[in-house]
Amino acid sequence: MSGKAGTREPGPLVLHGRSFPPGRPLVMAIVNRTPDSFYRPGLTWDVQAALDRVRQVVGEGADILDIGGVPAKPGGEVTAAEEIRRVVPFIGTVRAAYPDLVISVDTWRHEVGRAACEAGADLLNDSWGGWDPELAGVAAEYDVGLVCSHAGGLPPRTRPFRVSYQDVMAEVLGHVLGLAERAVRAGVEPARIVIDPAHDFGKNSWHSLEITRRLGEMTATGWPVLLSASHKDFIGETLGAGIEDRLSGSLAVTAVAAWLGARIFRAHNVTETRQALDVVAALRGDLFPTRAVRGLA
Amino acid sequence: MIVRAAVCPSPPLLARDLTGRVDVLPEMREACARAVSRLLAASPEVVVITGAGPATASWDPDGRLDLSRYAPALRTHGKPGLPLSLGLGAMLLDMVGHTGPRRLQAVGEGAPASECVQLGASLAGIAPRVALLAVGDGSARRSSAAPGHLDSRAAAFDASVERALHDGDMAALVSLDRELARDLLATGRASWQVLAGALANGDAPDVPRGGATVPVGEILYADAPFGVGYLVAVLEPERIS
Repeated sequence: MSGKAGTREPGPLVLHGRSFPPGRPLVMAIVNRTPDSFYRPGLTWDVQAALDRVRQVVGEGADILDIGGVPAKPGGEVTAAEEIRRVVPFIGTVRAAYPDLVISVDTWRHEVGRAACEAGADLLNDSWGGWDPELAGVAAEYDVGLVCSHAGGLPPRTRPFRVSYQDVMAEVLGHVLGLAERAVRAGVEPARIVIDPAHDFGKNSWHSLEITRRLGEMTATGWPVLLSASHKDFIGETLGAGIEDRLSGSLAVTAVAAWLGARIFRAHNVTETRQALDVVAALRGDLFPTRAVRGLA
Repeated sequence: MIVRAAVCPSPPLLARDLTGRVDVLPEMREACARAVSRLLAASPEVVVITGAGPATASWDPDGRLDLSRYAPALRTHGKPGLPLSLGLGAMLLDMVGHTGPRRLQAVGEGAPASECVQLGASLAGIAPRVALLAVGDGSARRSSAAPGHLDSRAAAFDASVERALHDGDMAALVSLDRELARDLLATGRASWQVLAGALANGDAPDVPRGGATVPVGEILYADAPFGVGYLVAVLEPERIS
């Protein structure tokens, strides 16, 4: 920690014993162990389908796997025990099959986080803004990463209802930097902390567009920024597009966020996201073209 | 006089850094390195690089190619205005570790054959042992994907140059049609004619042919993978007994 309160020097993100420097964007592939997530519900509810998906996204160049057992939207209760049943054995299977892969678990509950870490998870992706204050302690205990996000104070699995902010980005920054500080105090290694504005969580579409436009304010804090925008409603509302027609919009948001310095990109479409990120990296000068011949022959 | 001469092409992609993460035409770059190494093996007192430029002019021998003109992201700056051919020739010399004297001599891209031959003859005389590197390309109209699209005359033009270099036929190089070469976007024409003038210098002044030496050529590379004719050759001035 250095500089103004809550910021850090930009530096490597350390997960699973590996060090990821700034300038190397990471793709976090989504694998839902749910029957009812918003995008293609039930696609990987079946264990074999989920393992096939893992093999596919690893082959497509995913750096991180994000495994979730509870959809964000309201619905039938998923207890901690049920969530553990959905994700933890699966994490164990993936860990055994892919010893080098960075595995994230999408959960807000410390019980689930603990069981996931026992099974080999490397990152606790808390999309619900630190609802369970004991989760950071689990990250510290197991020396794994923690995502500090902003959900506008909403309880997990609730939708925003007439939310408003004087300044949404200021609110997001205040909250996630506070969580990051709390995590450091709890013993989480700063190099393992990620911040996430959490598009759509506790936000209407205007808010999500605003935090994207101003994402540079988040990246300027020095903490690695996670973008989790793939196929979300703010893209659908922006385009007037249904759930299946949001890939182009997702890639546009990805490109802008990458340009503004986000470092982790949670995505359903790994190949397309990787390609978009590679183009932005080349635009930024972080990556040279694969093969440049045009005009040079 | 000329102790050995070489011909190399001048595409920017000869500079490894310009092609990005993947190497492009490493075999051509290796052929160039072999050719330039052979120049040095002849123990020259000075290596003269000649290639087309906007005007006939001598350049600072410490000049290096400004790669940032082609790839700003590389931020590798060099001598502003140094012609591509001379910059790539200098790069090739650096690549094989040449640290001795060098001269960078541009020849005006539109210079008539007589001027080129004369320049070559004078370059051959700047030291008792001169190595000459002529940098330039064949037609950039060798295929429909070529930078200048397809010109049906391009292949024959390039073949005639290749044959002349192989046979040491300096007269054929001198007689290359300047207008045709310009139409075919063959940037090597002027430099090859400088080469002809230099190699014909020998012990007799009656250029281009019939002097005391006759060059013997060896082609190390000849292809047009991107529709531009690339030639790598080494020429030895063999004394006629």
